[in-house]
Amino acid sequence: METKNIRVFFSKTGRAIYISHLDLYRLFQRAIKRAKLPIWETEGFNPHVYITFALPLALGTAGVCESLDTKLTEDISADELVRRFNDALPRDIRVISASEPVRKPTEIALSVYEADFECDDAKFDEFLAAEHIPAEKKTKRGIAELDLKEHLAILERRPGFMRFTFPSGSQFNINAGLLFDAFERISGTEIFSLHITRTAIKCSDGEIFR
Amino acid sequence: MYKDKLDRILLKVQKPSRYIGGELNSVEKDRDKVTMRFAFCFPDTYDIGMSHLGMKILYSLINEVPEYWCERVFMPLPDMEEQMRKNDILLYGLESLEPIKDFDFIGFTLQYELSFSNILAMLDLAGLSVYAKDRPDLTPIVCAGGPCVCNAEPIADFVDLCILGEGEEVNLELMRLLEKCKAEGTTKREFLIRAAQIEGIYVPSLYDVQYNDDNTIKSVTPLENAPAKVKKRIIKDFDKVYYPETFVVPFSEIVHDRAVVEVLRGCIRGCRFCQAGYLYRPFREKAVGTIEKQTISLCETTGYDEVSLTSLSTSDHSEIEKMLAVLTDYSDGAGVNLSLPSLRVDKFSKELVDRIKSVRKSGLTFAPEAGTQRLRDVINKNITEENVMNGCRLAFEGGYTAVKLYFMLGLPTETMEDIEGIAELCQKIIDLYYSMPDRPKGKGIKISVSLSTFIPKPFTPFQFEPQPTEDVIRERQKHLMEVINVKKVTVSRSHFDVTHLEAALARGDRRLSKVIYAAWKKGCKLDGWSEYYQYDKWMEAFRECGIDPAFYVNRVRPYDEVLPWDHMDILVSKDFYIRENKKAHEGRTTPNCREKCAGCGVNKCVGRPCF
Repeated sequence: METKNIRVFFSKTGRAIYISHLDLYRLFQRAIKRAKLPIWETEGFNPHVYITFALPLALGTAGVCESLDTKLTEDISADELVRRFNDALPRDIRVISASEPVRKPTEIALSVYEADFECDDAKFDEFLAAEHIPAEKKTKRGIAELDLKEHLAILERRPGFMRFTFPSGSQFNINAGLLFDAFERISGTEIFSLHITRTAIKCSDGEIFR
Repeated sequence: MYKDKLDRILLKVQKPSRYIGGELNSVEKDRDKVTMRFAFCFPDTYDIGMSHLGMKILYSLINEVPEYWCERVFMPLPDMEEQMRKNDILLYGLESLEPIKDFDFIGFTLQYELSFSNILAMLDLAGLSVYAKDRPDLTPIVCAGGPCVCNAEPIADFVDLCILGEGEEVNLELMRLLEKCKAEGTTKREFLIRAAQIEGIYVPSLYDVQYNDDNTIKSVTPLENAPAKVKKRIIKDFDKVYYPETFVVPFSEIVHDRAVVEVLRGCIRGCRFCQAGYLYRPFREKAVGTIEKQTISLCETTGYDEVSLTSLSTSDHSEIEKMLAVLTDYSDGAGVNLSLPSLRVDKFSKELVDRIKSVRKSGLTFAPEAGTQRLRDVINKNITEENVMNGCRLAFEGGYTAVKLYFMLGLPTETMEDIEGIAELCQKIIDLYYSMPDRPKGKGIKISVSLSTFIPKPFTPFQFEPQPTEDVIRERQKHLMEVINVKKVTVSRSHFDVTHLEAALARGDRRLSKVIYAAWKKGCKLDGWSEYYQYDKWMEAFRECGIDPAFYVNRVRPYDEVLPWDHMDILVSKDFYIRENKKAHEGRTTPNCREKCAGCGVNKCVGRPCF
């Protein structure tokens, strides 16, 4: 069967940030079924619609540039695809655009995050200025120690706000939430509110992942 | 609204998506444009409550009224409860994320007795007093519905009113009345007095209960013109009854994660232990066209790839063959799996096996309930050994190698012979399997026996019967393990601790309210969960209140005793239960309702014959 690769960009915000990666997969499968979209199904004993996510998003983090790759079995316009997806999705997951994939998911190198938070900003700056920011990262092999400072690049900082990058990709990935957990642990003070949004995903050459 | 506060805690709890709402098809309205807000509370966790069909029906029904808003509320698990208490978050509705104490109605659906303590836990978490008398304001009105309110006496002190029977009509009548009383500025008591005049509404505080010296009930006297008997509500035209076009689709996986279509209500069988078989009378079914339309609508609007037909006994639908033909046509074309629970073994055919084979690969389940024909006649199961063997043969021919069998232990008149009968029946099935030349090659047979303990329930012919004592139950369980073929049969038993409490609560009177309160104060909640259940605490609560559970559990109740639920009328007469009880002790069966009317009385109440 002739199929056409397509990359669907979507946002995951509001109440939807608590949907786990596995549940998000099921959610899109159902949305495709509801929308009756011409999406290729895997062959075999238990056929299911083929979708794959470029880069999982951590639970609790919002995203406005998330993407999934799939294959169309019929040519439909990007506009129609977007409209039909959105009619079939819960409110806090919105499809933004759809286009032919340009870069491979393996080329992804980093994520840009924006964080809005309420805490003692002076303490937070002090925390950021330290030589090391030790943290623990859960991996498949157990818990690994790492220094967040080595991987953090701050793009913008003002009271209650920070724009920054962390490495992302299939090889090495840092959950943005780790930084704020580390702050609470090291400073001994509390963050009263925190909203993190992934605003861009970039490839190793600095280009936006498209 | 608690969104910001929740954002601070949700990453600290397991499976946070169940505490935040926002699912597909959940209903959000403008709070300033609604006049009545209803908190539909399922007194158990999200994963269980979201699987419950009644909630889906009533949620959609209320929300179809533009000015009414119904939200869903579940019992949080301890990790979430701890975070809520730490951060001053009161129990909230999943749609608005606003505290339910400000709603007009807080309605609990009571599906099983072991959820009673969760009512108290949820009211407390909502920031409300658990005792109805300590909530003087008109709103919120705390009400309860569902099968357990056929005997709501154990929770009488906590709820303001109960809704007996099917809620599709009466819930809206009740909401309209409260809307009116709110506008008039009446007192809560005035509202309750008026509500008691609506058929199906039971207001426990409007009944005075007196006791005899032997602790049995002497009298139940209605006050303020409340009816002497509260009549259950039923939907007369079941084919036309409201059914949701769509379901809320949870983000996370829940217990029954699929579309569900109710094909019939009621049951023609009259098994003497089964409360549902009487509570949901009369038998009513939907037309095949209606079932088809509802199946398609649900599948298309939810995106589920499985639809389950539900009822007490789906194979008793008068047009089961046609229904399956129509539905498989749709499901095959749409890539949807059709699942058929609740099939009777005596209705099993090759065609049925072929149809369900494509869906269920693991095994088939049959419910003989008792090990000997004598005892199956006592309980009026009306299933013969031949039926069971035939069902198994068809299953094996269809390629199945595993069967699951449901039995009950402790049934009235049961002897060790009946227990041994379970083992013998299993052995006959094993022998049958190995005698079949066309059995699945190279595979052994696996039988799973699920052995529950009989719990006498109100509104059954066995409502007068005792549950055997702990010693007897344990001895019989032990004996079964000694005589059963342990190589091929695995047996799972229900825990005495759990069935004992369930038996006490099921047939309790309103003096048990203080026991439930005491148990909850000791930390009892989530009693349906083995990891949270605290039997010792419950027994302590009974002792401290000076109440012996044996009075409710192990005592034969004479036919002329005033039972705690006698002032409820589920449209089946007490005389019928007495007649059926006598027949049980004589080992005589009663034919199913379609064959011959047994005269339970429901047809007189409905004003027409059932068939």
